[in-house]
Amino acid sequence: MDKHREYNDVRLIVRSDPRFLGSIRSLVRAWLEACEVAEDVVDTVVLAIDEACSNAIRHAYEGRCDETLEIRLHENEEHLEFQVCDQGAPCPPECMERRPPQRPTENDLKPGGLGVPLMREIFDDVRFSPVATGGNCVIMRLKKKD
Amino acid sequence: MALTIEESKSGEETVVGVLGEVDLYTSPQLRTAILKAVPAADGGVAVDLSGVGYIDSSGVATLVEGLRSARKHGKTFTLVAPSRAVLQVLELTRLDQVFEVR
Repeated sequence: MDKHREYNDVRLIVRSDPRFLGSIRSLVRAWLEACEVAEDVVDTVVLAIDEACSNAIRHAYEGRCDETLEIRLHENEEHLEFQVCDQGAPCPPECMERRPPQRPTENDLKPGGLGVPLMREIFDDVRFSPVATGGNCVIMRLKKKD
Repeated sequence: MALTIEESKSGEETVVGVLGEVDLYTSPQLRTAILKAVPAADGGVAVDLSGVGYIDSSGVATLVEGLRSARKHGKTFTLVAPSRAVLQVLELTRLDQVFEVR
C-alpha cells in the first residue's frame, strides 16, 4: 500500500437535508476514485451510501432536515469501510433482517423497503449498530480485490 | 439540483421526459408529475428515462407507484430508453422484469 493512502480517510458532517445528497455522492465518488476502485464498483457503492443517508433522513430523523449526518470513509489494507451515523430514532427491526432483494410477484409490488436489501447486495458486510449516546451507525464494508 | 421534467403527447400516449438525477431530494417532483399524468392520459404514460444520470431506490419506488396507479386507472405504463444507471438499479432491486421497457 502506498504511504499516502494511510491518510486517505474522510469524515464529513453535514445537515440531514436531502439537497446535500448530490454533493455527498460527488465526494464519495471522488474518494473511491482516489482509492482506485473499479468504475462499476464506484457506481454501486455511491448508490449504497446514498441509500444509507436517505434512510437516516427518512427514518431516524423522520424527514427533519436540521439534524446532522456523519459520513466516514476509511481505507485499510483489506477493506474499504463506510459509516453513516445519525443521532435520531433507533432504526426499526426490519433493518436488521439479512434478506437479499426479492423478486416481487404481481400482487406484491410495493414502493418501499428497497434500500436496505440493495445495500446488502452491494457490500460484503452491513451492520446496523445503535450508538450509546443515541442514534445509529450503519457500517458497510467492501473487501478489496487482489 | 432540480430535475427537468417535460411532458408531451405522442398519439394516445403521454410522454414524461426526465432529465437529471433522481434521489430523495428530487423524486417528489417526479412523483407529482407521474401521478398527475397517469389519470389524465388518454391511453397510457411513457416515462423517458434516457436522460437520467442517477436514480436511487426512492426514484424506483416512484416508478412502482406510477405502475400501480396506471393499473388502477386501466392505463399502460412504459419505461422508454432507460439509461445505464436506471437499468443497474432496476436489476439490483429485482424490479427489472416488472416494468414494460422499450
